[in-house]
Amino acid sequence: MFGKEKLKQIAETVLKLSKADQTEVILSVSGNSLTRFANNEIHQNMAWKDLGISVRVIIDKKIGVASTNSFDKRSLKEAVEKATELAKLQEPDPDFVSLPKPEDISDVENDIFFATEGELAEGAHTVIREALSEHLTASGAYANDVSELAVANSLGIFAYHAGSSCNLSTIVMGKSSSGFAADVARNAADVDAQRVAKTAVSKTLQSSDPEDIEPGEYEVILEPQAVSEMMAFFQWYGPNARIYHEKSSYLSEKMGQKVFGENITLIDDPFHELVFPMPFDFEGYPKKKIMFVENGVLRNIAYDSYYAHKYKTENTGHALPAPNTLGPIPLHLYIAPGDKTRDDMIKNVKRGLLVTRLWYVRVLNPKVLNITGMTRDGTFLIEDGNIVKPVKNLRFNQSIPDALHNVVAIENKLTQLASFEGELIGLAPALHIRKWEFSSATLF
Amino acid sequence: MLNDADGILSKIPSHVDYADVRIVEQESEDIATKDGVVEALSSSSSKGYNVRILKDGVWGFAASHDMSTMGVDETIAKALAITDASLKHKTTDVKLDNSKPVQGSYKTPFQEDPFQVPTEEKLELLVAADKALRVSDKIVVSQASYQANREKKYFVSTSGSKIEQEIIWTGAGIEASAVDGTEFQNRSYPNSFRGQNQTRGFELVRDLDLVENAPRVGQEAVDLLTADLCPSGEFDLILDGNQLALQIHESCGHAVELDRALGYEASYAGTSFLTPDKLFDFRYGSDIVNLTADATIPGGLGTFGYDDEGVPAQRTYLVKNGIFQDYITSRDTVSKLHEINPKYNKRSNGTVRASSWSRLPMIRMTNINLEPGGEEGTGKAWTLDDLIKDTEYGILMSTNRSWSIDDKRYNFQFGTEIGWEIKNGKKGRMLRNPTYQGITPQFWNSCDAICGRDEWTVWGTPNCGKGQPSQVMYTGHGASPARFRKVKVGVVKW
Repeated sequence: MFGKEKLKQIAETVLKLSKADQTEVILSVSGNSLTRFANNEIHQNMAWKDLGISVRVIIDKKIGVASTNSFDKRSLKEAVEKATELAKLQEPDPDFVSLPKPEDISDVENDIFFATEGELAEGAHTVIREALSEHLTASGAYANDVSELAVANSLGIFAYHAGSSCNLSTIVMGKSSSGFAADVARNAADVDAQRVAKTAVSKTLQSSDPEDIEPGEYEVILEPQAVSEMMAFFQWYGPNARIYHEKSSYLSEKMGQKVFGENITLIDDPFHELVFPMPFDFEGYPKKKIMFVENGVLRNIAYDSYYAHKYKTENTGHALPAPNTLGPIPLHLYIAPGDKTRDDMIKNVKRGLLVTRLWYVRVLNPKVLNITGMTRDGTFLIEDGNIVKPVKNLRFNQSIPDALHNVVAIENKLTQLASFEGELIGLAPALHIRKWEFSSATLF
Repeated sequence: MLNDADGILSKIPSHVDYADVRIVEQESEDIATKDGVVEALSSSSSKGYNVRILKDGVWGFAASHDMSTMGVDETIAKALAITDASLKHKTTDVKLDNSKPVQGSYKTPFQEDPFQVPTEEKLELLVAADKALRVSDKIVVSQASYQANREKKYFVSTSGSKIEQEIIWTGAGIEASAVDGTEFQNRSYPNSFRGQNQTRGFELVRDLDLVENAPRVGQEAVDLLTADLCPSGEFDLILDGNQLALQIHESCGHAVELDRALGYEASYAGTSFLTPDKLFDFRYGSDIVNLTADATIPGGLGTFGYDDEGVPAQRTYLVKNGIFQDYITSRDTVSKLHEINPKYNKRSNGTVRASSWSRLPMIRMTNINLEPGGEEGTGKAWTLDDLIKDTEYGILMSTNRSWSIDDKRYNFQFGTEIGWEIKNGKKGRMLRNPTYQGITPQFWNSCDAICGRDEWTVWGTPNCGKGQPSQVMYTGHGASPARFRKVKVGVVKW
């Protein structure tokens, strides 16, 4: 790792090399390890380290970006020259006003932990042992990602953050079923491999010998993992200033209007106690907690400096690295918890399905925000408030807004959902949704 | 660079079972326009190396950007430490097939180096195409994109391979989005999700005639706003080549990856219904369905000289006359297959690639193709016009809009940007929001006609995701329009 001061020196060197009107530099340093297991043995085991430098220059509103993976002086100079050369070839972008100016950034701890290959292998083996004890087959990955990120610009911004994550995830398979579980922590010592193993094994055993079920409209309980997988697409296609102002979003032209049921509140909180904090965005602009939807009413959308200037509104700190053709994205969005336990929600279902996870979710039409996908790793029939049997996986075609208009109850807590790699952690409650459209079945 | 790779290899202790070293230099340029203005103009490069060591029957892999003496020593030490960690939990030995060492080189043939074409010329072309899409005020977004990539790879192994390769690939496309009230429609050319991509030079971009095609594409997006909704039912379905390419990718290409079939991707991408017991006698498709993996096709995005284990590029029948014949394989997985199915006695068919120097090489699609009609075992060489004339009632669908398939590759659903109704052998009204759904072997068994080589194109899919850590790979799919009988169409309520 380089440390804050060394990265600051490199950033200053880059900024001095540039003669452009404005210049931005993003520096990244990463060290990663990943131990992958399948068929109850480790089969891929690796480590890698890399650097990244990305330079954005602006000359007369003309923008160029160049990146490379070396910090030597020649590479820094070449990156600045290439970005400058590209900018000069451009036509001015009339909507570009300025890179952001420095603002106070919250102090967060720079928490770094390097896991050894032995610790990762032992975590994998804990899961394997538990699966073998039930004559099941474990697969999964245990990743340790350590990174430093620095963003600086010629207007005085210098932002630095370092962090790490240890992510263990597994899918345990039986003859006719599977179960998923995951955990994430800064430090490998805090990852509960035994709990991950037991959770996945338990789900696999519960979902064995699934029976056929007719597709159609069902009441559903979506467990937190499934809710998170559904909301990932809302995150990208919903409150995104680029898509919103293109009139291509379901939310377009609905600011201040009711967009979901009154029991839905959506918050983006990069400092939530259950996530690893992210103090600034990829322009070095401070992040903060923002309510996007309050009791079903649209209150805010995500902006970066470009779209904030273009639409004369406040920058919300949601920039991605330049060049960004996706638009500003909220990365810490969650549905605020309700007042029911998961068991209470199941008891309230007359006839419906309990869905553990979704798989291969894709948006059919961003304007309608309808999605398709499959269920995976445990789908169960609920009758008269009781889980009665596992069923085979189903394909769904469902509008996200319709689902969020039909939420009967929201779980009273948020579950931390590890991504497979890196520091981003999802948060979601379980949801009881009145109707969900399953259109076809598969063979397992 | 080959000497540098050799230098790294020479530092690996001789007591390992096998080792290889790859040095990779990657360079890319990307341009994206939006609404007639350049939204992204960027250039990137990356250089690094990896060592892959097989010791006592387990793999260790380490990679770094740091090519200094100390950096190399550290990387080798890390790879060896990783083998030790894996060894403690070993249950079986990794075995490699007896592929022969190779010394050779390969360079993508091209007419015009995309990195030498002046950027001004590229910008002018893309902005002109972008602007030409805006045929109506109902077009809310117009976009054009271009990308070029150069990858230099240097591979050496302890078994004596020394290989140098330079792969170049280029891509471009345009897209118009039209909105009217709550109705939103997209139209792309020549394909959705970044256009057409091939291992060719800038001549590909010129051949696409983006500016000339833009007004038609823009108008189709507008017309789709008021087109009739695609009807629901079981109809004959004709898929245009660009949609069939993705159908092949998802329902065949991934299903025949041997690492998936053996359970090695279960934790992330899933497994495959094509389990080893189905080899040689499972009816995957109708008699005329012949699927190949062919890394030797000129221009295919999955075309190269040697894979990242040093195995020469090959052409392999995966499905022949409808029967499942083979997987795409690596040197270690093929050895596992020998143990499971003694009838299978082949070496790796050379499909292993890594997306960068920092990633582990793994089985990836090369060019996975549906062989065109009019060739051995593929039936008559239809033309699309003849196919339409021969269809009493059906739907023609083109250009992917959405895709999803279950984790064993059975249940799929695709949406396309546009459809047309076929009635009494004539292409009729335009249809919006076309979708279709099926179960893979049932679907391919319903294939009864495939257009000939004149309408066969190797479509590029530059965004194939697989593996942990995630790797995005560029793959190709040769396809011509084909017909499938009685498919479930219009499966989404709008």
